Amino acid sequence: MPELPELNPVIHGKLRLALLSLLLGVEEAEFTWLREKTGSTDGNLGAQLMKLEEAGYVAVEKKFVLRKPQTLYRMTEKGRTALTEYVSALKELLGSAI
Amino acid sequence: MSAENQELTERLELIESMIAEGRRSTAKWAWTIVLWGVAFYVAIAWSTGLFGGPIWGQHYMAWPVTMVGTWLLNVALLRRMHRSAKAPMTTVGRAVMSIWTAMGISMFALLLPLGLSGRADQQVCVAVVATLLGTANAASGILLKWPAQFGCAVVWWLASAASLFGTVTQSTIAFLVAIFLCQIAFGIYAMILESREQRRQGAANA
Repeated sequence: MPELPELNPVIHGKLRLALLSLLLGVEEAEFTWLREKTGSTDGNLGAQLMKLEEAGYVAVEKKFVLRKPQTLYRMTEKGRTALTEYVSALKELLGSAI
Repeated sequence: MSAENQELTERLELIESMIAEGRRSTAKWAWTIVLWGVAFYVAIAWSTGLFGGPIWGQHYMAWPVTMVGTWLLNVALLRRMHRSAKAPMTTVGRAVMSIWTAMGISMFALLLPLGLSGRADQQVCVAVVATLLGTANAASGILLKWPAQFGCAVVWWLASAASLFGTVTQSTIAFLVAIFLCQIAFGIYAMILESREQRRQGAANA
């Protein structure tokens, strides 16, 4: 019997999965945009983004635009690969159910 | 369906909905189509002597000045709107922008030397502009899966052919009609669609 794939625990969290999926279609996104799209709180969003950053799935850039601080997040190649593998594993696990 | 499968299916649906949400542009850009249509009309009016006064008398400056001025205005307004909307640049948005930027540079690189070398012929110039605009509209229309924009490409290509086979007057009329249909009318139509989409998104987020 073939072994079923394991799901990446870093990606499997709902908010982290939503964040990576959002970042997949854009070049980079501001913290405030991600908060608006996910409806998350600042604290929770910051914590989940930090986990993704530690895993190397997102890169962070902090800068000042018109003297206002701006935090930009962008998906890394490692993150893109991890999400692709996660989706493949998810589809394999679901098999004929989808 | 088991509870575990239900949860996995929900994850898959979450990925799909978030990807779609991320790609949905919140930036307003349809006004640029109308802006360029108005710019074309201003350049035509200036170059044919419809405006009076010392500056407007320099007919040879009409197209370069109007086009460069409109480009600068376009870039400045887009940057300002992008900053205030905090909307990220999507991959599709970047692709569409690259098509129009490349088309604009090609047009400038071809028409300026044509004008300066004295080899410019009005009918040929209209055909070149219309063909390039047709190419950019077709590429954008295919990319965005938007038949109306591809329809604009067909109008521009027809205007190009009409310019070459018709008289100078017919060439001018074909150009004016194409500008009205593909820049003014299509631009206003795109603005209406854009504001409807934003209202829909606003209601969904409320």
